[in-house]
Amino acid sequence: MAKKPNTLKSGKSRGPFASWKTRFGAFLVDWALWGYIAYGTMYLLNYYWYTNIHYYGRLTVPTWGWPIVVLGTMELAALTHAFTQSIGLSMFGLRVLTPEYRFPSVSARLRRYLWWQLSMIALPVSLVKREFRAQLLHGRMSGTGIFLKKEVGDEMPIPVPRAWYMTNRGVFAVMLIVVTVWVGWLSTEINLHSLATRASKTSYLWKAFTAPNFTHMFTPDPELVVGANPDLPASIFTGLIQSLFMALLATGIGGIIAFPLSFLGARNMMGFSRLGWAVYWVMRGLFNMVRSIEALLWGIIAALWVGFGPFAGVMALSVHTIAALGKLYSEQVEGIDPGPLEAIAASGGRRWQVILYGVIPQIIPSFLAFTLYRWDINLRMATVIALVGGGGIGRVLFYYKGQVGRIDSAWNQVAAVIVIIVIVVWFLDYVSGRVREKIN
Amino acid sequence: MADQLVIEHLSKVYERGEVLALNDISFTVKKGEFLVVIGLSGSGKSTLLRCINRLIEPTAGKVYFDGVDVTAASSRQLLRIRRQMGMIFQQFNLVKRSSVLTNVLAGRLGYVNPWLSAIHRFPQADMDLAMKNLDRVAIRDQAYKRADELSGGQQQRVGIARALMQEPQLLMADEPVSALDPATSHSVMKYLEQMNQEDGVTVIASLHFLSLARRYGTRILALKDGEIVFEGLPDEIDEARFKEIYGEEAEHVEVR
Repeated sequence: MAKKPNTLKSGKSRGPFASWKTRFGAFLVDWALWGYIAYGTMYLLNYYWYTNIHYYGRLTVPTWGWPIVVLGTMELAALTHAFTQSIGLSMFGLRVLTPEYRFPSVSARLRRYLWWQLSMIALPVSLVKREFRAQLLHGRMSGTGIFLKKEVGDEMPIPVPRAWYMTNRGVFAVMLIVVTVWVGWLSTEINLHSLATRASKTSYLWKAFTAPNFTHMFTPDPELVVGANPDLPASIFTGLIQSLFMALLATGIGGIIAFPLSFLGARNMMGFSRLGWAVYWVMRGLFNMVRSIEALLWGIIAALWVGFGPFAGVMALSVHTIAALGKLYSEQVEGIDPGPLEAIAASGGRRWQVILYGVIPQIIPSFLAFTLYRWDINLRMATVIALVGGGGIGRVLFYYKGQVGRIDSAWNQVAAVIVIIVIVVWFLDYVSGRVREKIN
Repeated sequence: MADQLVIEHLSKVYERGEVLALNDISFTVKKGEFLVVIGLSGSGKSTLLRCINRLIEPTAGKVYFDGVDVTAASSRQLLRIRRQMGMIFQQFNLVKRSSVLTNVLAGRLGYVNPWLSAIHRFPQADMDLAMKNLDRVAIRDQAYKRADELSGGQQQRVGIARALMQEPQLLMADEPVSALDPATSHSVMKYLEQMNQEDGVTVIASLHFLSLARRYGTRILALKDGEIVFEGLPDEIDEARFKEIYGEEAEHVEVR
């Protein structure tokens, strides 16, 4: 097929230079990485200040300091961009070369960096004038440019091969890792001393596991309530049954609602019109947003709405299931073989007939597998949703945990509940795994 | 004979790759012809066929089918036009997990009551027709198997049976035998020839091999880089024309 030459919309040739969007993207990545390192450095300085110099003080950056940090990291990004094959450039497959596709000399790179300062001042002009976008001022003045590696192709000069830790990227990556681990260690207050010396604090629980107390396995505990009715005492078993049905209903409700929604969130079903794209992006956004809020947080909202109890649990799990399954389902829809759809459309089938006869038979097995998998997750969530008032066996667990110090056997009761949860979750995990194997 | 299909100045530009797939194509197809479209991969054969029933929306140009302007048809009219055009595909395009019978019945969706089709109900007459068509391509005994249990040649015959369900005026075959071995190729091509000669269905088939094109085509259209480089009778393609269509380095490969 005839390929059009690399032209701008105005018809003028862009030349072999990479588009300004990719160059800008690469620059942003490098800038952000330097910003990250600057933040990490300040965190470490701050930590050093209040542990070693002045406990009550904080090392703060004055107001006029922030622009300096922003500009400083920008300069660093420009330096790495001009002199090295940076992470940003690599991410977008870019190389800084001369127009003859050779690596620029050090002096050309230095000129590129120095002219870059003026380029940035003139940036608004450059962005408006399309012809300048291909090669900004600093590129013109230093005789260098940023090229797309795959468009330069075979003419790409081959760099001297070096071990990864000797490359610019390698050194920078090590720097990033060191900053991340160091700041992370301090920020999360990892303490090896308490890890080593406080193990004995858990001994009560471990001892309780040798003698779990199953007194209230089936016999209701008069003090324990898992539902809305305070006069209906519960046992471990009633809590368990409640959790099982909570997971089952949440999966059912979530699956049924997610099924039609998943088509609205699938690229290949919606990409036919502008409206379709709009719906697609809205659905995608909703799925991701709702999914990123954990079921426990939805539990808080649900418990506020319908009151404490298993209904709130079902609600919370359902909402999260809709989003999670919706995303998984729509990815399955996107992954189907488009051939049969084409065939049915070609024979005069309507859009929904194409879906019914072409799409659904293809996705049913994976939908079932994902639904079963989700049931697994929901069951595990149903055991802890009681933390925010969702009822179920978790309610039993947290009740006995709360009795520690009041009843002697509280830890043993807790151990009993945990044993039951482990057995049931393990068993259903096994069953759903086997069933998923059978499907397909 | 009347012109059944008229193509006028048809062009297709793929936006994303800025590729000109079809460049100002014009030709006509008479009722009852067996037109073979040849050309290298990427010459625009598939795009041309898909522009005729608007599976791919042409960028410019007109397509007339039995005097009706396909390119100007509303979506409702388009459904009616499409159900008169059968199509079979290189990769068969069957729903692999569905039964052979369901796949064949799917070819009837343009005709049946949409509400009944929504609950997978087809009239008895259509069920009989499906079995008859499966019988015709000699795979009646496979009707209740899953489509992916069949061999490649059998799957393409399911594709033909599905197209037969439309009782089409025109059959488009997009490289129907490219995924098949030579022996199976002929058995599939013979069914197309049979439809053409016995039922009087116009056939447009794109093929890779010149030998197959010569054997089955009543007329040949050759595409190169989205343009027509030859149009005429099979015998008119000599060595020079062959090189022009397939390039200087091409060698004859025969499918017997």
